[in-house]
Amino acid sequence: MNKAQTTGTSTISQRNIISLFAILLGLLFFTSLSIGSNPIPLLRATAEAAGDSPSIISLILTEIRLPRTLIALLAGATLGLCGAVMQGLLRNPLASPGLIGSSSGAAFGAVLVLYLGLADMLQLALPVGGMLGSLGAMLLVYILAGRDASIVTLILAGVAINTLALALVSLILNLAPSPYAVQEIALWMLGSVADKGMHDFWLLLFPTLIGWGLLAGSGKALDALTLGEDTAHTLGFNVPAVRWRLFLATALAVGAAVSITGAIGFVGLVTPHLIRPLVGHQPSRLLTTSALGGGILLLLADMVVRLLPPGQEIKVGVITSLVGAPFFLYLILKTRRVQI
Amino acid sequence: MLSLLPQRPLLKNWSAVCILLSLLGAVSQAVFAGQPQRIVSINLCTDQLLLMLVGPERIASISSLALDPHSSYMAASASEHHTNHGKTEELLPLKPDLVLASGFAARPAVELMRRLGHRVEVLPLASNMAGIRSNIRRMAELVGAEEKGERLIQNMDQRIESVARNLPKHRPKGIFYQPRGYTSGSDTLQDEAMHLAGWSNVAAEVGVSGYSSIGLEKLLMAQPEQIFTSSYAPGTSSMAQRQLQHPVIRQLTRARPMVEIAYRLWICDGPMIADAVEALAAAHK
Repeated sequence: MNKAQTTGTSTISQRNIISLFAILLGLLFFTSLSIGSNPIPLLRATAEAAGDSPSIISLILTEIRLPRTLIALLAGATLGLCGAVMQGLLRNPLASPGLIGSSSGAAFGAVLVLYLGLADMLQLALPVGGMLGSLGAMLLVYILAGRDASIVTLILAGVAINTLALALVSLILNLAPSPYAVQEIALWMLGSVADKGMHDFWLLLFPTLIGWGLLAGSGKALDALTLGEDTAHTLGFNVPAVRWRLFLATALAVGAAVSITGAIGFVGLVTPHLIRPLVGHQPSRLLTTSALGGGILLLLADMVVRLLPPGQEIKVGVITSLVGAPFFLYLILKTRRVQI
Repeated sequence: MLSLLPQRPLLKNWSAVCILLSLLGAVSQAVFAGQPQRIVSINLCTDQLLLMLVGPERIASISSLALDPHSSYMAASASEHHTNHGKTEELLPLKPDLVLASGFAARPAVELMRRLGHRVEVLPLASNMAGIRSNIRRMAELVGAEEKGERLIQNMDQRIESVARNLPKHRPKGIFYQPRGYTSGSDTLQDEAMHLAGWSNVAAEVGVSGYSSIGLEKLLMAQPEQIFTSSYAPGTSSMAQRQLQHPVIRQLTRARPMVEIAYRLWICDGPMIADAVEALAAAHK
């Protein structure tokens, strides 16, 4: 009815939500830096990190906890953001990097590059492998399912490509010359941000930023796409170009994230659904909040992992899946009810 | 007995030769009676002890790992032997009269060979010198090479004693660090060898027992002065192996670079532990 007013109030509330999330993220960031196997005085560690010769506690802060925290934030934000984008683009509430093949494809690409030894020759080969794998798998799913695929078709195509990609991951890891490869199947399929260094973070940062940059500003196009491709076209959007840009951006960001952390499940699927009740259903409002929400979720999950008794080596993907899988089932039930 | 043969006067008498030969046969029958003649080993650790103690004529098969120069101390003398992968169907046609396995033997194969009426002996995995000595003695006894076994033990003990005589008074902190952050705490061969070579094993000191992973933070806090590692498959790549390139490890090894101890020296218990102890002691300089 009173459209201007509703938009006005929800924009304000969206802004509030964004600042709320940002504050929460900041708090979690510092909490995350203080969680580890040994309690360290954060302020002293920070001061010593600024000095000339790094001390033990400053190394723990800057070389162990900081990269781990930053990578969890970056990867989580990518997954949340790309989940929101894919759900908007494909007009499908079950679309997510995990479901449409971009995560498993990225894992396949990264595994291929890493275990053949290419990543040792050229560090950048790892994220590039992830991106190419991600893009390839997404395109396959998209071609298999067709443009205006029903939920079921998309899921089937996604399941097929995911299964194929993960089978190939297992195959490569079984055939890889490294005796450690086979034990790393779980790492790629569940994902982990443990024992990462700043070099991993830098490797992840640039493709992620490029991906995010390509996604930024796609909100209006996604809003138009909710009305159907024809309407979006008459509104002046070049739909195929938009689609390509979003696929490419997702491949860049998800491909880079997965090549460093492995395929962390359910963050991309769940985050937009958790955010929607707060900001409404318009994709443009979902993007920033989903990115922040994804970062918060993954960081929280990784903090849980770190608080578990040491020596267990629980992967962060186990936590996200334990929370995400029941939520996924709930979504399916809800969708079924709507269809009936 | 053999020294009798060249005595010429006896050789002229054919009947004497015949008597002598039959005598020799009888003696060798008596000496080797009950000794296994078709020995099969299905684990790397028993492979190596077997190759040290017994000549090729009595070894029917060893495990394929024994050929790998990174894992096997006896790889050179293993190359001419028939190899197996511990599968029952490979072992049966060999008609072994003794099957040797060690602590991490493929259990089903061991049980099946036993049920099919073969003699199977399983040696425990030793994690200290007493265990190594008792495994060598047990193996020597099983294959009838007691004297050779004692010689191996004596030689090993002598070498380790001579290392002990030249050790620095202060024990620097060392750690054995492997891909994926695995380390050897108390009650491991690596702990024993490091101790014998004058190092204190910080992994054991911070409470790691057996083979387990140690977090990067814990590793930093333990402040090892020297990191030892054993590449298992050099030239290959994995997330686990990338961990050795972590900036924290680089920082820890800046003053003293990581020292590589060949895996074959301490992946299995055996007299080659003396080589490991010597290599570890050489790292003091």
